[in-house]
Amino acid sequence: MTSDPKLERTIDKILNQTEVENLSSLKKSFKESLEILSKSQTSLEQEYDRIIDEGKKEAQKIEKQIIGGSDLESRNKQILLVEDSVQKVFEKAIEKIRSTNRDDKYSKLMAFLLAESTNALGTTDVIVYTNSKDKEIVQPLLSKFPDAEFSSDTIDCLGGVEVKSKDGTMTFNNTIDARVDRMKPLIRKDIAKKFGIGH
Amino acid sequence: MSKQGGVQYNKIAEIKGPLVIVDDVENAAFDELVEIQTSDGEKRLGKVLEVGNGKAIVQVFEGTTGLSIAGTQAKFVGKVMDLPVSEQLLGRVFDGLGKPKDGLPDPIADKFLDINGEPMNPEQREYPRDFIQTGVSVIDGMLTLVRGQKLPIFSGSGMSHNILAAQIARQASVVGTSDEFAVVFAAIGVQYSESEYFRRSLEESGALKRSVLFLNLADDPAIERIITPRVALTAAEYLAYDLGMHVLVILTDMTNYAEALREISAAREEVPGRKGYPGYLYTDLSTIYERAGRLQGKKGSVTQMPILSMPSDDITHPIPDLTGYITEGQIVLGRDLFRQGIYPPVNILMSLSRIMKDGIGEGKTRADHQEISNQNYDAYSRAQEVRALAGIVGKAGLTGVDLKYLEFGDDFEKKFLSQDLDENRTIEETLALQWDAVSLLPKNELTKVKDKFIDQYYKER
Repeated sequence: MTSDPKLERTIDKILNQTEVENLSSLKKSFKESLEILSKSQTSLEQEYDRIIDEGKKEAQKIEKQIIGGSDLESRNKQILLVEDSVQKVFEKAIEKIRSTNRDDKYSKLMAFLLAESTNALGTTDVIVYTNSKDKEIVQPLLSKFPDAEFSSDTIDCLGGVEVKSKDGTMTFNNTIDARVDRMKPLIRKDIAKKFGIGH
Repeated sequence: MSKQGGVQYNKIAEIKGPLVIVDDVENAAFDELVEIQTSDGEKRLGKVLEVGNGKAIVQVFEGTTGLSIAGTQAKFVGKVMDLPVSEQLLGRVFDGLGKPKDGLPDPIADKFLDINGEPMNPEQREYPRDFIQTGVSVIDGMLTLVRGQKLPIFSGSGMSHNILAAQIARQASVVGTSDEFAVVFAAIGVQYSESEYFRRSLEESGALKRSVLFLNLADDPAIERIITPRVALTAAEYLAYDLGMHVLVILTDMTNYAEALREISAAREEVPGRKGYPGYLYTDLSTIYERAGRLQGKKGSVTQMPILSMPSDDITHPIPDLTGYITEGQIVLGRDLFRQGIYPPVNILMSLSRIMKDGIGEGKTRADHQEISNQNYDAYSRAQEVRALAGIVGKAGLTGVDLKYLEFGDDFEKKFLSQDLDENRTIEETLALQWDAVSLLPKNELTKVKDKFIDQYYKER
């Protein structure tokens, strides 16, 4: 401890001054930190909103993804089911055609197919092919086409005729198989309509 | 058409490139569909290009590789090529000829439509006026796509046009209406990896549900590419005019289409036009591009975004050149921006959407849209000039305002132009970014926007 009063006063003065300076600096820092806090509050809120917005967007994206995916999956399953049923209908129809009675009505159909074929080729100078079942029906019909020749070779089909020009340049396939094949997209549409699919 | 479809001709005179010349043909018709059958029973499709003197020239879509004169037969089907259409097209993936590629059966048809499209009565056309949001700022903000518009993307080889196309396909929507929206995506001569990217990208985003994909791959026969855009547009027209949907058709890459056209033209020994492309390239392209639009009394619309890669980045090449005559503007991708890693690398100064003004503004996007877009265009143009000047005199020689423009240019490319691959920005976000960019400039530099908008949106940075 010093006994010099002058020195004591000087020390007190310095201490007071430092205290004032420190307090003022503390106050300033406190004020600054409040300002920083208030500013960061705004940016924090903005950042918070941004994160929430992005989260919402991401959630919507995932929702779209899940809904879209499952919608498609169920739709595709429906398509496959319908197709399966359509195929079954086709198979039954073909079976029915195969076992059709070769009656007068059928004979008229053969005459029509023959006329249509020669008309398509633009000539009656043709060779006519058919399956073994229809041979006896088709052969007599050729009397109406004097230039036409009946082939002893048979073809594998449900019914109908295949007509070739004698020079071999043109063929017209008018078998029932070929006709079903040509009409298949339209028939599919009609069958699907029965299942409530399509317009 | 031939008097009776289904006649099969067995006399093939010649096979020349993608063409088959059939002899002793009577009653064939122009554009008639032909089934070519090889000696081992394989069937390929084609169409009649020319008939006369007992001969028919048939263009085989799947190519003539493996065909021989002996044993090949041509069956004239008696109808033009058509596409079975119904709502079931949505969510499906087809090849370039419209055959299913996703393991599912053919869609049950509601109708069969001629792939060449119905002629549109010009009197019935309606002017495009409504906005399509792509979620890509540079397009929505400055090159707005309008329903019924045809707006091509001009790109170069190796650039990110396909990534951009997939992003647009995933994100595009019509805002402010409950009308349904669909995307028809036709990939013409793309690589397998790209086609998988398109498919996966749409599947994973859930957007496949409202999309139809037609994929013609690079290793598919080139001739098939002639059909792909037509098949895609037929599907789009059905969805738009029969089902009342707003349909965005993305065709990529039309350069491959034009190459296929050149191949056929060369095989037919036609007099070549510019760079060997046929003289009718313009007319042919117009038969595709002009299938965009809106029709009076019909709810839907067909909007087209054809993408073409310019050989050697040459915008004067016949394909972009002739495309530009037909379409309503263009979005040009820039090689410099691409090299800088900017995505999407759209060169704004070379791009333009001619009917943007009719699809934006109050009640459609926002009242200040046109003006803020003009201001950004103007400022970016000035920034480019300043960049060039800085390259000569250095930054030290620039004025304070010039330096602000320099800063604007960088900020514009970084924040507005650049976008993540899965970032879907709303039009409000896009416009806010445009205001944010110009807020770097002093207020008195904003000469293209009204004071009321400046007061409302300008926030000096």
